[in-house]
Amino acid sequence: MLDKATFLKEMGARIGRRIDKKGRLYFEVAGENLHEVVNYLFHTMGCRLSTATGMETFHGLEVLYHFSHDPTGQYYCPRVVITDKKNPRSISIAPIVKGADWIEREMSEMLGITFDGHPRPERLLTREHPKGLDRPLRLRRPS
Amino acid sequence: MIKTVIPVGPFHPLLEEAEYFTLTVDGETVVDIDLDIGWMHRGHEYLSEGKTFTQSIYLVERICGICSTSHPLACAHAVEDVDNIEIPPRAAYIRTLIGELERIHSHLLWLGLAGHFIGYDTLWMWAWKYREPVLQIFEKISGNRNHYGMLRVGGVGRDVDPDSISGLLKILDEIWRKIDMVAKAAGDDPVLKARLKGVGVLPKQAAVDYCAVGPTARASGLPVDVRKDEPTDAYGLVEFEKIVLRNGDVYDKLVVRLLETLESIKIVRQCLEKLKTTPGPILNDVQEISAGEGIGRYEAPRGEVFHYVRTDGSNRPIRHKVRAPSYVNIPTFAASCKGIPVADVLITLASVDPCYCCTERAVRMVDSHGLPRRIDLSKLSREKTARIRREIHE
Repeated sequence: MLDKATFLKEMGARIGRRIDKKGRLYFEVAGENLHEVVNYLFHTMGCRLSTATGMETFHGLEVLYHFSHDPTGQYYCPRVVITDKKNPRSISIAPIVKGADWIEREMSEMLGITFDGHPRPERLLTREHPKGLDRPLRLRRPS
Repeated sequence: MIKTVIPVGPFHPLLEEAEYFTLTVDGETVVDIDLDIGWMHRGHEYLSEGKTFTQSIYLVERICGICSTSHPLACAHAVEDVDNIEIPPRAAYIRTLIGELERIHSHLLWLGLAGHFIGYDTLWMWAWKYREPVLQIFEKISGNRNHYGMLRVGGVGRDVDPDSISGLLKILDEIWRKIDMVAKAAGDDPVLKARLKGVGVLPKQAAVDYCAVGPTARASGLPVDVRKDEPTDAYGLVEFEKIVLRNGDVYDKLVVRLLETLESIKIVRQCLEKLKTTPGPILNDVQEISAGEGIGRYEAPRGEVFHYVRTDGSNRPIRHKVRAPSYVNIPTFAASCKGIPVADVLITLASVDPCYCCTERAVRMVDSHGLPRRIDLSKLSREKTARIRREIHE
């Protein structure tokens, strides 16, 4: 069975700073390596994408994907750090994982991140909003 | 080809929540489906950042009236995951007890609605009648029939009275007999099989692609069950089977839920027996949560509920992500609804047990002559069942 040690051996050179906890592996991935790492997690290891979390930090924005490896109960969480707050962009993984379609659209409208290569980059939650919300999860932290 | 567009939703007096489906049909066959969500976006994630961890648990309990144990459990797991906090054994059994009771009443609620949608109103009335004692057990345990307010970071907030356990076990025996009877009646019914087998099939590969969870995934042969994959609380201490079937149709989703309901009763029984002999505290004193991040999940009746919290050492999260199972199960309609007759749409939509399974009416805006015309999806579905029943009995 493919486990964490195998993942680190195969993908260790593609990932950056990591936090290794019981049952959880959070690690940074550069945009150019994201597809390769996600392909390995989804197709080779058979992980399932639970969801993704977008958030604004003091240094920029980040997108944290949560891949569950159900046979072992282990979570693999690739973190894409975006430093350009004015024009935040990341690479969409929806062409690889259909299950990422909605959550990337949601992160896009909630935080203003553009996901390059997304098959349907439309608003998901606020399309019909009477006030036309603009990046509501970024309003409370000055850029 | 003349295409007809059928909008379903977003607002209707019978809809418990607002959702919007656009069905494109060719004659009586669905050729495309589009979904529009966000009509009830309440901003829970943002609200949670202004709450303490304990308050957040109460907040997420209000996300769903049916999953009012699942969200608090996943939220508590996420906060506990930041510092790997353990909970007392007695609290673990109580958490599992109320989680499984919730699964029983949720599955029975779905069974009743599904029966109603296909014209089995007796099944509907039975299922909801036998759900009532489950809610009464909840009332005895938590004081509430819904929104139980039991969860805390580090355990639970209310103990189960040991003197009430034998009475609860008696109620449970009665529920077992009734549900077993319903399961056998449903399993032996040739009309039900003819009506639901092969309807709204979600192939296993589509379930993998869309990252489906819960009974929706397990009916398609995908063995995803958080209770077994990452056993928390008392799930590693009780015996139960993971129910996995392979056809992915509505019938298999029905069978998965019926069998899971019986498994849940087994778990509840074991928890109650253990609570007789497991003394001790029900809450660990958690003084502070350090800066970090944590993932919590729980197998809700509809599938995996996922919570993620980022903390900064204060008493509240700086980011709280919530993902309910319907969020990943609803997109599977794109795979399961295409190519099926309009009469099967209602039960296929309802088969993933979305939180808005009352989508029983629709307005067809134009017919083939371009004229407005009303249709009733529920009526179509029930008429098809009646037709199959006549054919089988003749």
